[in-house]
Amino acid sequence: MNAHVASLSPASFETGPAVVVSNLLRSYGNRVVIERLNLRIERGEFVALLGESGCGKTTLLRALAGLDAIQGGRIVAPRRPAVVFQEHRLLPWDSLWRNVALGLQTPDARERAAEALTEVGLGDRLDDWPRNLSGGQAQRVALARALVQQPELLLLDEPFAALDALTRIRMHELVANHQPGVLLVTHDVDEAIALADRILVMRNGAIAYEHRVARGSSTPISRSELLGELGVNSHSSH
Amino acid sequence: MSNIELSDIDRTAIGAEGGPSSRSSEVARAPASAKSKLGARGLQLLSWLAPVVLVVVWDWLAQAGFLSPHVLPAPSKVIRTAFKLATTGTLLNDLGVSLLRAASGFVIGTAVGATLGILVGFSRIAEAAIDRSVQMIRAIPFLAVLPLVIVWLGVGETQKIFLVALGVTFPIYINTVLGIRQVDPKLLELGRVQGLNSVQLIRRIILPGALPSILTGVRYALATAWLALVVAETIGAQSGIGFLAMDAREFLRTDVIVLTIVIYALIGVAADGIARFLERRLLAWHPNYGAAR
Repeated sequence: MNAHVASLSPASFETGPAVVVSNLLRSYGNRVVIERLNLRIERGEFVALLGESGCGKTTLLRALAGLDAIQGGRIVAPRRPAVVFQEHRLLPWDSLWRNVALGLQTPDARERAAEALTEVGLGDRLDDWPRNLSGGQAQRVALARALVQQPELLLLDEPFAALDALTRIRMHELVANHQPGVLLVTHDVDEAIALADRILVMRNGAIAYEHRVARGSSTPISRSELLGELGVNSHSSH
Repeated sequence: MSNIELSDIDRTAIGAEGGPSSRSSEVARAPASAKSKLGARGLQLLSWLAPVVLVVVWDWLAQAGFLSPHVLPAPSKVIRTAFKLATTGTLLNDLGVSLLRAASGFVIGTAVGATLGILVGFSRIAEAAIDRSVQMIRAIPFLAVLPLVIVWLGVGETQKIFLVALGVTFPIYINTVLGIRQVDPKLLELGRVQGLNSVQLIRRIILPGALPSILTGVRYALATAWLALVVAETIGAQSGIGFLAMDAREFLRTDVIVLTIVIYALIGVAADGIARFLERRLLAWHPNYGAAR
């Protein structure tokens, strides 16, 4: 794990990409999960990562988060990324605002947590316990906890599964307002089409397909084309 | 008693892994008892009435002379004795002495058990160095070492406090280690993602996560402390509840003996009540303990 997330030079701090991955290798023992993977995400860019289960999506996300050691290549990110996991992972013994403020070192932590909770529509429940929340509410608190860190890279591991369609879109707008680079791991093609600027399909530990979504274009990406890319035994030669 | 306490530990372990599981079993049982809903209040009443009847019958048997006062005194006589000893005798003083012994031993045992438990819980090296020895000593029923303790320390206060501390150390130790070890690794991972350092990780995630288990240890330790005190006081005490009982034995005063037994029971119940109160206060966030909002 040591030093695989290097810092960019100060000059590029304001304008550089949110993350650059080059030639990434990730393996468990002899089993190679990710091989020769390259990826660059700009600030403010929303990237959706699709793929069958077991293709290495979550492995990639964990490597970007710095949670697992990598066996080769480089991951360069300006700062520690924020992560929203599949499960909300709220601390059951802390009130909502303390959960959101977890890791904030500033004296105004409570105010900032309150602000973030208001953004996700839970500003009136600062002192409530996590166990009184529904699954979707808990996931929104987890999102607030990530956003309050003002990350330049936000990693989302299917966090919107518990949200209804409307809330999902509101949360997406919220993420977009904060302008981090986003990597959203999902298995939901429609969610990817609706939210992302760029859609990647991962197969056999590498990025097999890439599509840039033209916002406002009258010809949206073909859903069937994406589904084809996700199909089992696809013979396409990417 | 130890069986009941063990199942408490099990329940906590399950509760910490997946809180809802213990809940759902309660829900699953509800429909079966709903059938006897009409009789539910009656059954509740009966469960309280039965012991009252038992005491009344006992009292009548003793008053009527069917029960020799040398075997069992009448409950009413025990109550009269309690008032007499409390007002003219040394009952309150003896009670104070006993409570002080229990409290001193409990504090010492908790300090030792928690310190060892935290060391072993956090450090694999400490575990290798300490845990096996502690487990070996734990295998000894702690009351079995009483003769040895008397050789070491005589029959003074030190011997009594030592025995209580010995009984308290192990449940605190085991539950502290267990609590630290069963903290959800996903939450630890989250702590790292949020950039917590080791001290913050311990303070914000590990200790609160271990608290339910530690409090279960406290509750079990309170029961053990009491048991240790009874045994320790029965041997060579010059004061205390146990002394009162042994002194009464000399004069076949079964009313005093029964009184001391009842006092031991009441203080045990009170100690358990304190432990439950602590759980409700400190674990208000926990679905199995906290008051529902």
